[in-house]
Amino acid sequence: MKRVEVRLSITAVAPLLDLIKAVADELHVHLAVPLALGDADTELAAVWGEDLLESQRNDCDRLFSLFDAEFFSEGVVAFDRDNAEPVLRACAALRLRFRSTRLVDVPDDTLEALESSSTMGDLDPEAQKAFACFLFLDELQKIILKYLDPMAVDEDE
Amino acid sequence: MSVEVEKKSTWRVVFLNDAVTRMSYAVMVLRKLFGFDEETATKHMLEAHEQGRSVVWVGVRENAEAYVFSLQQWHLSATFEPDEES
Repeated sequence: MKRVEVRLSITAVAPLLDLIKAVADELHVHLAVPLALGDADTELAAVWGEDLLESQRNDCDRLFSLFDAEFFSEGVVAFDRDNAEPVLRACAALRLRFRSTRLVDVPDDTLEALESSSTMGDLDPEAQKAFACFLFLDELQKIILKYLDPMAVDEDE
Repeated sequence: MSVEVEKKSTWRVVFLNDAVTRMSYAVMVLRKLFGFDEETATKHMLEAHEQGRSVVWVGVRENAEAYVFSLQQWHLSATFEPDEES
């Protein structure tokens, strides 16, 4: 995969980064997807939990390294073969965490309708900001998936 | 001389649905981890989406564990269970 530069709106994205960072900090100690190994595997779950948390932390660090001086001066973020997959995983983890915390009170069908229309509906201001983060992380995923496999994203639409 | 043949039990890797993860992401991960073609990965993704779960691999426990760990690293929910048919 060649290096891909994407220009983002600084005024739209920068205000979201503090909340995304706060949620990323929660992922230092909470798995985005709880382990589903059952009671018989508590020892395995404990060992895996630490490794998976470390992986989450590293992926989120790679995501935040996109928002460097170049982003804040030019609005540009760059993907390449080294950071594409970690950033993709970080976006997935963050979206799951947003859904299970900041957007937990929004019913599935409401969230789906809002995603389709990219509007805020009747969400309260806090949920609106969380939803904007949720959408932004989805857009980042779409950009990366499109470059990994140009046919892939069209199938979601 | 007697030869004892140990029959190793087999285990299933079960991919579980979630309502958040983008479908194209799940398909990409299934292709990457299991070497599925697009059609097979999509079939498993849709089965999980519609029925809540899809058995994506069957084999020895050690490998099943490794697959479930990898799926979790990609934030796809999964578990492993004994294959009752083995």
